[in-house]
Amino acid sequence: MTDMEDFSAIRQQFPILDQRIHGHPLVYLDSAATAQKPEAVIDAESDFYRTINAGVHRGAHELAARSTVAFEEARAKVARLVHASEAEGEEEIVFTAGATASLNLLATSFGNASMGRGGAAARRFALQPGDEIVVSKAEHHSVLLPFQELAARTGATLRWFDLDDEGRIRSDTADTVITEHCKIVAITHVGNTTGAITDLAPIVSRAHEVGAIVVLDACQSVPHMRIDFHALDVDFAAWSSHKMYGPTGVGFLYGKRALLEALPPASFGGSMVELAFMDKPAQYMEPPARFEAGTQPVAQIVAAGVAADWMMGIGMDRVERHEATITEELLKLGEVEGVRILGPRSAERRIATVAFEVEGVHPHDVGQFIDAQGIAIRVGHHCAQPVHRHFGVFASNRASSAVYNTPEEARRLVEAVGGVRDFFRVK
Amino acid sequence: MALYGMSDEDLEQMYQEVILDAARDPHGKVTLEEQDTEAETGVTLSHTHEYCIPARSHQFNPTCGDEVTVHVEVSDGSDGGPQRIERLVWDGQGCSISQASLSVMVDLVEHKTVDEAMSMASDFHRLMDSRGKGVPDANLDDTLGDAVVFQGVSRYPMRIKCALLGWEGMKASVAQALSHMDSRPTMAMQTKER
Repeated sequence: MTDMEDFSAIRQQFPILDQRIHGHPLVYLDSAATAQKPEAVIDAESDFYRTINAGVHRGAHELAARSTVAFEEARAKVARLVHASEAEGEEEIVFTAGATASLNLLATSFGNASMGRGGAAARRFALQPGDEIVVSKAEHHSVLLPFQELAARTGATLRWFDLDDEGRIRSDTADTVITEHCKIVAITHVGNTTGAITDLAPIVSRAHEVGAIVVLDACQSVPHMRIDFHALDVDFAAWSSHKMYGPTGVGFLYGKRALLEALPPASFGGSMVELAFMDKPAQYMEPPARFEAGTQPVAQIVAAGVAADWMMGIGMDRVERHEATITEELLKLGEVEGVRILGPRSAERRIATVAFEVEGVHPHDVGQFIDAQGIAIRVGHHCAQPVHRHFGVFASNRASSAVYNTPEEARRLVEAVGGVRDFFRVK
Repeated sequence: MALYGMSDEDLEQMYQEVILDAARDPHGKVTLEEQDTEAETGVTLSHTHEYCIPARSHQFNPTCGDEVTVHVEVSDGSDGGPQRIERLVWDGQGCSISQASLSVMVDLVEHKTVDEAMSMASDFHRLMDSRGKGVPDANLDDTLGDAVVFQGVSRYPMRIKCALLGWEGMKASVAQALSHMDSRPTMAMQTKER
């Protein structure tokens, strides 16, 4: 079987794709917003409710035991996907309600550390006036805003990496943007609008040189490439299940074991405390439980683990090679008259997420016209207004692929975009 | 089959000729001077007629960045007649639906009485809430004129706000003009308070 035939079989595992929209076969090119789910994931979620639903890490009955095992197995699977275990049972993965929740957890914890919580061990996370937090202009609002707020709460200064003409983060300026006052660098691995893969090495090495913590937004990288957080040497990373073929409502926070152990909790309640008193401070659990207060969405987490397994079953190197063939086709958008790509115009160091502008036609109109042909793309600012301002636009159109897309689908999009300006009578 | 998926009924229903034409060459679109903060009260706005109270409203749709400033001049009824929208212009940018809707609104509302304009706004709102089905009023064609072409837009929840943006601006600016009238101590007044 050729690889293309294999991917055709993989596509057939996604029931949602087998339908017509406005009379045309659905072309789903909005996976950067949320990916579709394979049968294995859909089944895992409902099977959990059919067979083993029970609270985890509590209760002495058999279902509770099975549920706990399934829950922790999911953690191990997710950890394997991104190489985030010191050893078996030593996974450096915290479950959260989503990537946004992961980033807010971190920003809140750092804020708590800044107020002295977590004691001496947490002092490395503490911020005060004069300290600096560094982000980039390519950040999703879910990175920018939690850390902008953290700066406001602690009196720290927010600084940022600028972008080049193609929207790439200017990693070459790391030595000047990251000063000795820098405590935190929060940066995206892959731009959710530009599709550009960040050159992380100079940023990470400079950050560590000045003793800063590196927080990586891995939402747009984990679904599309082989990830090894240990090799990248980032300190924390956040991403979501639903963009990697898993359910919504689940996210992940990776943290180096030693850092997770030093990090004070951000959310308090059941399941995260060892000893609670009326008249003495509580004693909190070790990570990851310390950060998982309250009842977890267990069925969704178990299904997210199945998604991670499913991705590893295909092999992330193969996923990357397959999606590169789609990148090639999507980049031909740049050859359509009046179309400008907002991001790298070559297939080098980018993923198959391509934002573009059709001169003279508002993205809402482009999206509607494209939708009428059964093609789903995202229009708007994609929760990343600063990067749009960088390109001098408020909103754009964005096509983003996943393992189930084909080069033929990308060609259909390019052809459809070719008709936009005529339809809206732009000369 | 026409070009570029034009055979698709949904698309044709949404982007009717009236809409595409109006979006390309919208009526009432002008370049409005920047207002200073004082102008929020309507006091420093220019107006065409002595007996008119000018007011503006800025509307913004954060999901797509469409924005419009609607400028109205409402006659104060000092001639004994009803309060009337004597002038309606706007400045802004956005998708073809929002631009066309503004254009059609100008054609419908300018020189109408405030009561007539508000009634039309209410009818248009009902049309946009109809989820593509339209409003079973026999005379909606008469009252809303060209605005009935936006019925197709009402099928798309994400686009309804585009069509309503200008109407919201009209309602808010007229309300503001009326509140200035109410707060006037005399006909010739120019107070800064609202």
